[in-house]
Order: sequence, then structure tokens, then C-alpha cells
Amino acid sequence: MKKILAILLAGMMTATALAGCGESGGSGTESKADGGSQADNTSKSDGGGATIDPSFPDESLFGDETNITLKVWAPDKAVNLTKEQVKAFQDHYSNTTFASIEVVAQGESDAATMIVNDPEKAADVFGFPSDQLEKLVDADVLSPVTKGFVDTVKANNAEKTVTAVEAEDGSLYAYPETNDNGYYLVFDNTVVTADDAKTLEGVLEACKKAGKQFILDSGNGFYSCVFAFTGGAVIDGFEADGETQKFVEYDETEVVKTLMAFAKLMKDYKGTYTSQDPANISTGFKNGTVAAGVDGSWNSTADKEALGDKFGAAKLPTINVGGTDKQIISMFGYKYIGVNSHTKYQRAAQILAYYLTGLQCQQDRAEKLGWGPSNKAAQEALADDPILTAISEQAENAVPQVKIAGTFWSSMGTLGSELYKDAWNPDDEAATKTLFEKTIANIRDEG
Amino acid sequence: MIKSYKFRRNLANAIIYIILGVMCLIWISPFVYLVLHSLRADGGVLTNNALLPKQLTFQHFIDLFAGSTSSSLNFPKWFMNTFVVACFSCVISTISVLAVSYTFSRLRFGMRKPLMNIAMILGMFPGFMTMIAMYYLLKIMGLTDPTHELFGFVERQLVGLVLCYSCGAGLGFQISKGFFDTVPRALDEAATIDGATKNQIFWKIILPMSKPIVVYTVLTSFIGPWTDFILAKIIMGDTHENYTVAIGLQLMIDPDHKTQYFQQFMAGSVVVAVPITLLFLKMQKYYVGGVTAGGVKG
Amino acid sequence: MTYVEYKMLNPMQKFAYNFKKFFKNAPGAIGRFFKAVGLAIVHFFVGIGKGFKDFGVTFVKGDWATKLSYVIFGVGDIHKGKYYKGILYFLVEVLYVLFMVFFGGEYIYKLPTLGTATKVVEYDEFGFEKVLDHGDNSMIILLYATLTIVVTIVVFAVYISNIKDAYRHQIMRQNGEKPTSLKVDAKEFLDGKYHITLLSFPILMIGIFNILPLIFMILIAFTNYNGKEHLVMFDWVGMQNFGNLLNVVDSARKANTFFGIAGWTLIWAIAATFSNYILGIIVALMINKKGIKLKSLFRTMFVITIAVPQFVSLLLMSQMLTQDGAFNILLSHFNGGVNPRIDFLAGTPLMARMTVIIVNCWVGVPYTILSMSGILMNIPEDLYESARIDGASPFKTFTKITLPYMIFVTTPQLITQFVGNINNFNVIFLLTGGKPSNPDYHSAGYTDILVTWLYNLSMGEQKDYGLASAIGILVFIICATLSLIVYNNSKSMKDEEAFS
Repeated sequence: MKKILAILLAGMMTATALAGCGESGGSGTESKADGGSQADNTSKSDGGGATIDPSFPDESLFGDETNITLKVWAPDKAVNLTKEQVKAFQDHYSNTTFASIEVVAQGESDAATMIVNDPEKAADVFGFPSDQLEKLVDADVLSPVTKGFVDTVKANNAEKTVTAVEAEDGSLYAYPETNDNGYYLVFDNTVVTADDAKTLEGVLEACKKAGKQFILDSGNGFYSCVFAFTGGAVIDGFEADGETQKFVEYDETEVVKTLMAFAKLMKDYKGTYTSQDPANISTGFKNGTVAAGVDGSWNSTADKEALGDKFGAAKLPTINVGGTDKQIISMFGYKYIGVNSHTKYQRAAQILAYYLTGLQCQQDRAEKLGWGPSNKAAQEALADDPILTAISEQAENAVPQVKIAGTFWSSMGTLGSELYKDAWNPDDEAATKTLFEKTIANIRDEG
Repeated sequence: MIKSYKFRRNLANAIIYIILGVMCLIWISPFVYLVLHSLRADGGVLTNNALLPKQLTFQHFIDLFAGSTSSSLNFPKWFMNTFVVACFSCVISTISVLAVSYTFSRLRFGMRKPLMNIAMILGMFPGFMTMIAMYYLLKIMGLTDPTHELFGFVERQLVGLVLCYSCGAGLGFQISKGFFDTVPRALDEAATIDGATKNQIFWKIILPMSKPIVVYTVLTSFIGPWTDFILAKIIMGDTHENYTVAIGLQLMIDPDHKTQYFQQFMAGSVVVAVPITLLFLKMQKYYVGGVTAGGVKG
Repeated sequence: MTYVEYKMLNPMQKFAYNFKKFFKNAPGAIGRFFKAVGLAIVHFFVGIGKGFKDFGVTFVKGDWATKLSYVIFGVGDIHKGKYYKGILYFLVEVLYVLFMVFFGGEYIYKLPTLGTATKVVEYDEFGFEKVLDHGDNSMIILLYATLTIVVTIVVFAVYISNIKDAYRHQIMRQNGEKPTSLKVDAKEFLDGKYHITLLSFPILMIGIFNILPLIFMILIAFTNYNGKEHLVMFDWVGMQNFGNLLNVVDSARKANTFFGIAGWTLIWAIAATFSNYILGIIVALMINKKGIKLKSLFRTMFVITIAVPQFVSLLLMSQMLTQDGAFNILLSHFNGGVNPRIDFLAGTPLMARMTVIIVNCWVGVPYTILSMSGILMNIPEDLYESARIDGASPFKTFTKITLPYMIFVTTPQLITQFVGNINNFNVIFLLTGGKPSNPDYHSAGYTDILVTWLYNLSMGEQKDYGLASAIGILVFIICATLSLIVYNNSKSMKDEEAFS
């Protein structure tokens, strides 16, 4: 039995690698090498089962599980596509394997809370953003990626997405699904030129000239953390106690200067720089009142629709702090598909999660939903998509959205809304310093 | 003299009419705004807009009921759910309230005062923490499972929701007890002399006289399920087809849906508001009667 | 003032007298309240002592069946021929034993530690995980242990009643009386014991869905149940959460937040209650003034606000009050077409606080109008008559007759509203969500009141249920004390027996 499995596994991995190069021309070499070497490490036998479809692991992996019922959570926009994908999965196996696979719409940000509240009623396979990982791990509701899949998953997905879910012993908590859970600059290219879009000052100036608004949701910690991050106050997981937010060593005067620079722009471009719900960006584009904004990838369809040909996207601009242009550093997350440890069908759930995060499914999602894939081969195939390019460029200048204390969001939101409020004096260094120190104390829950 | 008095009175009345008119305008205009913008043709979130929409359309209402592109939004079903839950919970609530208030108003027994005090303060605990406990209590009763209907057709979660909404109704006995207190005791005494039991007095004498308070109780408990947006969410979880309108509409404006469904949210709000408003207007007389007689015997 | 003197006053003076008396007596009332609480506690323990005594005495005096009832429920009753009751008692015992064996015992056993077992898994050859045991969940243990304790208390009460009943029937037999039949007992439940019939269902419901979760929540306040690594397994931490809230030295930030928010909560509750009240009275007076027509139309206009669900009307309001919302667009017409971009909800703290109070008027005044309209019609006409004869101006009539009368008869209602406003979650949450945020506060803003802060702590990212429960308990203590004092000293409470 053990040997058969080993052979199957090896075959599957080789196949994955082969498929990778078959479907997306140039990207094959690297993954082929990876897949090949791993297959060699795993098993001495020859990869005999090379004809096995890479996306669909062999039926025998289901073991004694038959008549399986599973529930999958996907965000509303992805439900229809996920249904199609699941159906293809179901059809691939014999009639008796699956009784039903249900796909239920569930917002990803709530998924972790709902699973922790009642894991037995929750989905067996579910998508979640990386900042929820800690909560899920604490609550012990994730089944780690099956050891047999770990090497393939690690080899096929972008390194950052893998290390963010890697446990200390090298196992993975969940399957990487996307590499795009971040925000970028979206603009009306008839108002803001590509050149303007390079600096925040340029963007604001162009907007001001046209009498239109620029939107950055400065009261929301998810967006307003850029102020502190750009200054260098970047988070770095938790302290040894596992609950207090740790920061990298930063130069406080530099952070304060950066915050002051942001506040100054907010003041100078009052009426142009506005803090609003990002949902207003696409509406604003439609009405012609907004010319640029910092928006998330999940709204890109709406933004594109609103602007049509005028649509422009770029990584976040730079900001001038004391004469030097500083790249704005953002928060950047990934999405994962996890397996609920309370599932009755461990094997089926793992295989389904593996399938849903495979190359084909990721490509489908990239095409139809605009989700940036975490799969390396899929990434390369999409290299010329403007949004995904903007996102991946910004990803280079971003802090991974993992291991974030519960106090982080509201405290960062407060920092942003304080800087933004009318009464704030952007030249008051002492006040900015106190504000920043309070923010850090709040995040670290000190005193 | 008489003329000037009349003049002054007319002047005062005119001023009052103006003030009332302006106030009515202030009170009503947000709803006019809501209705107008639910009919707005140019889509999107409600900002950066002129006060009045340029073009009107019924499309959002049609979309709302004709079924949307999204699998999780099903407004007609939510509306029915809420209606059913509201009906059942208002029956149970009304029975509880009337039983408790009659008991405290008319019957005398040892634990009466302590029980009344306990009942009064119980409702003062902020309830969010107890919601998760309620969820697990429903769970051991098997009322959170969406897959197996009771007797084949009754959604368990809706039963659970009815229980949650009506369970605490008995605590809100104050107003209705106040009403019963105003019904003369002599009636009871006469009936007792004629050999009626307390049970008969309740059903045959007190209840028929209590139409205002019954209507008041029914009305207030009927509205509860239409407005709660926290507890129902915890009980329903991901079972979208069992949502009530409040959490359904809430779902429409979460970050995932807001850009696409904001207009339908507005339309849905109008659809929810209209029947309740009509009901209220129809029953207003009794509502006022109930709240007055009950709240204020002094 | 003697009773005769009082009776000779005219109605207006009576009101004034009572009104003054009520507030003069308030400090005494507070004192009496605490004395009553103290007495109740003493009575409680004396009662327990007496209970123990009776328990022993009955055992000594009882015959064999009564003695056996101490171990097996209902034996005494069955022996004396009261079969149905005896069987019911016995059934309760059987069910309780089954309940404890199959459900409750385990949770009671784990209650002191709140669970220690962690997840146990094994892996097969391919690495598929198999969960053998999901481990303990402290929250479930605490909840079900609470359930078990409540059930045990109820069963204990049944147990005591079983013993008493057995002894009572023993005495009855000694006196040669026969036990009453089921039919007679059933009849009694429709008459003499009708209160039990009527109250049993509501009390059962309230017990399960209100009291039990409440006890659970109170217990949570003494644990470290929070999102920082204690979501599944948590421990007892004693008074730590209360310490965090009240200790201004060691836990300055949280304590400052608590006192800051508590202060604003009180201001808010007072402002919201009285602004609604006064405005409501004024509008009700205007609508009910003689000679004003279209009364029902005006009332209807205001009633619509009640009928529209609050989450709709308040969300709508919050949209209209943003910098690009309807209000600013409206204002721009008076501002030469330039949008003033006033941030009503998240601008300066003062602005935001004023906005919530004003919007709360918009939400709340219609309720006041409705209830006040009725009261106004109830004011005895002769009061106004005599005032008019004395030549009092309308303003004087209002301040000397209408207002005292209203305040006097609606004091209980006013207190209910005050407590309601302390817990007025919807207006704050849906309107500002606590904004503008305050960097000195622990996860709260300037308009946050205690309940919304509690909500943020428990339902938000932090999931600090322990701290949230502690806040809940403190809110509860404030509200409960306040309303018990007022209710038990208000006129309507004292005059309750007026009709009997």
C-alpha cells in the first residue's frame, strides 16, 4: 500500500510539473526542475503514472471515503466560478465518490470568525485572507496541508505566499490561493498621466487642477497603515509572548517626518484629498467627481467598468519627505484556502483544496475575476495585465498581512483620521510624535 | 377685545402651523430622499450626487424581486422569512406579555414583588455577550442545523430565531400591567362572587377589554424581527436563504457587495419600510391608546 | 401636612406637593434601597439556615416513606396515594441522573480548569490528518457547566418540594385526610394557583434564554477569554478584567477609556432623554392645541419615523451627513454653490456629539409625541379652567400645570428612557460607529458609549470577551440600581393597589 501511494505521488508531481510547462510556455523550466528533483527525492521509483491529470489527484487517494458531502465557502463574486470548478472536480471521479459538494457564498473576512464560533457548522473548505491565519491557528481549526502535497504546493507557489503560512516544522497551514490581497493606485488617465501617478504630489496636483477628488480611506487601518509604514515603522510579527505586535527597528524622527509630510499634503490639498469608503471610488469615477484613489483589487472590476478606456492603474506613488521621494509602503496580503479540521471527509477536503488552488483553477480566477494568482506559472502567463502588474509591483513594496494584533486596525485607523482631521496642524512635530507614540502603545496594548 | 383675542389666537395657530409644517418636512424628507434615490437611474453608492436624481427607474425594485445575479441574495425569500418569524414571535410574545402582566396586576402571591424587580432589571444587561451563549443553547436543541427541516418543512433556524425574539417578551410587561391596573377591580370581584375562576376572569372579562394593549403588544413585537441585525446573523451564519431582511440588507452593503448592490439596498429598505408604516398608521389609534393607558396611570 | 390638609388642597397644589415630596425623598429612598438590599441578603441566609433546620426536623419526624423520599423522589407521595405527583417527582430524579451521567457531569468536572485536553491527531501514510479528539473548548465547557448548575438548582428545588410534600401528606394521613385528586389540583391551577400556570411558560423561556446566558456572561468576566491566544482555551483570572477597567494607575489607558466613556455615556443619556422629552412635549402640545386641524396628519408624519427600521433610517442619515452627503450639498446652496464639506459625524468631537444628539431627537421624538398626546388629553380640564379664571398666561399655565403634571406622571417612563439611552446601541453604532476616534482611548472614539465600546471589544477584531463582560456588568450595576430605586419609590408603584 505504502509503495503504491509513493508511486502515485511521484507520478502526480511529475505530471504537475509537466503540465506546468505544457500550458504556459516559458515558465516550464523552473517548475520542471523543481518538480523533477522532488519526485526523485520522494521516491526511487520511476514516475510511471505520468498520464494522471495534475489537477485531479488519483481517486485512490480518497481511501475509504465514499458518498462524500462537502461544503465550500467562496466570496459571493467567486461562487459561480467555484461551482463550475467544483463540478468539473466532481465529474472527474466516479459517481459514488461524491454525494454533493455545496458552494456557499461567504465573505472571506468573516470566515475565520464564523469558523471559530462554530467549526462544526462551518464549511469544510474555505477561503480566507492571510491576516485571519493567526486566529484560525489559535483556535486550532485548520488541518495542515497534507504532507504528500506540501512539496508540490511549496514548489508551485510564489515564495512569499508560502512562507507566510509555513509553520515552524515546515508544514503548511493552508493552500495559497492568490497573491493580490492588496491595494494600488487607480486613476482616470485623462486627468492623471502615468508620470503624475509616480508621485503622490503629482497625483494630487493633477486632481486639484481638474477639480476632482482623490480618495484614500484614511480612517481605516487597512489603508492608513501606509503612513506609519512608509516612515519605516513596519510590523514584524509578534513578540515572544505570541500576542504583542512587534515592530522592526525604526527611526522615530523619520517616521514623524513622514507622517508630517502626509499631513501636509492632506492640508494643502484639502477638498482634493478625501478620506472615504473605497466603494465610493468607482461611483465617483462614474459621476466624474473622482479622478484617482487607492483601491483594492477586489473592486477592480467595478473601477474598470466605470472608467472604461480611461482606466489607469499603477503601484502606489512616492511621497516627498524632506527632499527625498519615498516609496509608499502598504499592507499586502494573500488569500488561502484552508481545510476545516472538523470536516468528516479529511481526504476529500484536502484534495479539493489542492485542486482549487491548482494552476488551472487559479488561471480561471485570474481571467474571470481578476484575482492575481499565487501560482508561479499562472503569474508569468499574466505578466501584461495592468492591474496585476500594478499589484505585483506594489507587493514588492509591501508588508505581508500576517500576524497582526487585534488592536492594530483601529489604532492605525485612529492615526490616519487624526492626521486627516481639519484641526490637525501638520507642522506640529511634538504633537505628531505624541500621536505616533500613542498609536504604538495602543497597538502593543501597553499601559 | 373679543376680536383681538381671536386675532391673537389665529396668529398663534398660524405660527404653530408653520412650525409643525417645517418639522414635518424635516422629519419626512429623509424618507422622501430614500424613496427618490431608490428609484435613481444612475447607479452606484450614494455620494457626490445632486439632491434629486435626474432620471427615475423601477429597475432596482425589479432586480430585487426578480432574483439577482448573486447566489447569496434572495430578497423575496428573506421577506417571507421575516414575515413568518415576525408572525410567530408576535403570537408567542403577546401571550407571554399578557400572561405576565395580568399575573402581576391581578394575582397576589408571595414572590410577586421580587419577581417584578428581577424582571425589571434583567433587561438591562447589554446583550451582545449573551448572543453566543444563545447560539449554543439553540445548538443543543438542534435548532441551528440548516440541512434537516423539522417535520420536513419547518426551517429549524427560523424556529430558533422565533424563540430568541419571543423569549424575553415577558420582561416587557410594564406598560401592559399599567393598562390592566386601570381596569377596575370591582369587575373581578363581581365575577368572583358569581363563581368565576381567575382563569375565566382573564379570558372573559379582562382580555375583551384590552384591545388597545393587545394591539400595542402585537405591533411592537411584530416589528422586532424586521430590525434586528446582530442576533439573526449569528444564528443564520452562512445559510443565506434563511436570512431576515435586516441582515440581508446589511449583507448588501458589506464591502463585497456595496458597489454593486447599493441601489438594491435602497429599494429593499423602501420595501421593508412601506408595509410596517402602513401597519403602524392603521393601528396608530390603538398604539396611542395602549401606550398612554399603560405608561401613565398616575 | 396632615391627610385632611392634603385633601383640602386644590388639584394643582396636590401635584406640586407630591412633586416636591418625590424629589425631597430621593436621598432617603436611596438609603432605603441599600437597606432593603442588605435586609434581603440577611433574610436569604436566615432562610437557608431555617431550611436546613426544617430539613433535619422533617427527617427525624418522617415515617419510612418520607425518609426514603430523601433519596428517591416521590416515594412519600406514592405511598400516601398521591400517585401522579409521586411519579412526576420520580421522573424528575431519573431524568436528572441521566442528564448528569450523559451530559452535565463531564462539564461540571471540567469547570475548575475550563478544560485541559488539546487536539489529538494522527497521520496516515500519505500524510492525511485524522482528528481523534478535537480537544476542549473552554467556552462550551463554561456554558454547559452553567446550564448544568442551573438545572441542578431547579432539581434541588424540586427535591425540597418533594420532601415537604411527602411530610405534608404524612401529616394529612395522620389526621385522616385523603390526598386531593388530580382533577381538583388541576382546577386549583386555574384559580388559586393561576399565577403558576400563567408564569411558568414565560419564566421557562426567560430562564433559558435570558438568565442562563446572563450567568454565563457574568462568569466570562472572570476569565481571560480573548482573541489573544485564548479563543478556545482560557482560564479563570479572578478580578483582573475589573482591575484593568478601574485601576487608573497600573492600567491607565483602559481605565481612562472606561471613565472617559462612562462620563460621555451619562452626558449622552441625560441629553438624549431630556432633549427628546422636551421637544416631544412641545410638539405634542402644538398638535393637541385646540383649534389646530389636521391633527392626525401631523401625527402620521412623525409616526413614519417609528415605522421605518432604525438600521435603515440611521444608515441613511449617516450617508446624508458625510462630507459629500445630502446635507452638505443642501448647505452648498446657501454657500454660493461651494460645498462646505462639514464632517458632521467624524469631524471635531463636539460636532460629532452634537450631531448624534440631534439625530437622536429625530429618531426619538415621535415616540414621545405619541405617548404624550395621550397624557395631555388626560390632564383634568378643570385645572386649566381655574388657571384661566385666575388670569394665568398660556406660558404660566404650561410651566405651572402642564409641565409638572407631565414630569410627575411620566417619571417612571423617563427613567426607562434614560436607561434605554445608556444602552442605546443603534444610534451610536449605525451613525458614527464611535468616531471620531480618540488616540488616548483603548479601541474607542469620542462618541462611543459603553455598549458600543463593549460591542467593539467583543465582536470586533480583538474578541476581548472578558473585558467586554466586565464592562457589561458595570453597566448593569449602574442601570439596575438606578431603576430599582426610582421604581420602588415612584408614585405608580406605591399606588399600585389603588384599585384594589
